[in-house]
Amino acid sequence: MSFTVTSEVTGGIAKLTLAGSLDSSSASQLQAEIQKVAGEAPTELVLYVADLTFMASAGLRMLVFAKQKLGTSVNIYLVKPQAQIIDTLQMTGIIHSVHIVDTYPA
Amino acid sequence: MNTETQIFEASVDSLEPMRDFVSEKATAMGASTKQNYGLCLAIDEIATNIIRYGYPLAGITDGKVEFEVVNDAGKLTVTLTDSGLPFDPFAHNVPTEEDMNKPLEERPIGGLGIMMAQQSVDEFKYEFVDGKNINSFTVNIQST
Repeated sequence: MSFTVTSEVTGGIAKLTLAGSLDSSSASQLQAEIQKVAGEAPTELVLYVADLTFMASAGLRMLVFAKQKLGTSVNIYLVKPQAQIIDTLQMTGIIHSVHIVDTYPA
Repeated sequence: MNTETQIFEASVDSLEPMRDFVSEKATAMGASTKQNYGLCLAIDEIATNIIRYGYPLAGITDGKVEFEVVNDAGKLTVTLTDSGLPFDPFAHNVPTEEDMNKPLEERPIGGLGIMMAQQSVDEFKYEFVDGKNINSFTVNIQST
């Protein structure tokens, strides 16, 4: 499934909605979107990922990139990731750097 | 024993067709969702390294990656063969805790992906034979 990403920044919160497969071919689209919202200096980054079906290491690097681009004080939320994506976040230890939630705001 | 092969262009645009090819075979052989995903993740990571580094660093612009899928009594093995630069994933450092905190541009190339490939299948082997890299990934379908 091809990758799509859309974004909006409201009240200092950047919200990105991701769907499809996030691999080495599509990660640049997410990088561009992160760079776009970074211009508005958001205080939180919320990624809606319920329809994200695949995430390779290129996608994980984008989470690291977001943290570095937006600042380490900016919390990253992943809303409703699929089970296999949670497995990958656990395997790589990146789960400790993000917040996994069912809804945002809680 | 049942064997199927397919050849893909070494391009990032091939990653999705590669995963679709493997996923279709894994589903047909009765792999679980977790096994199927793990296999697709492992082949995606190694194929990405071949496409992004193996062929470009060898100066080859029209590289190919050959996929062979073998079903041998419930053991599903996917083998990727390429003619890019010799690259032994087991000789590569995987990320340390310290690496996880490094800026993106300083992170080891492919290290995170290799760690994921190693952990996502039951067996992962690498050989360099007759100028070709041979990466094989096995999942034990009957064991679940």
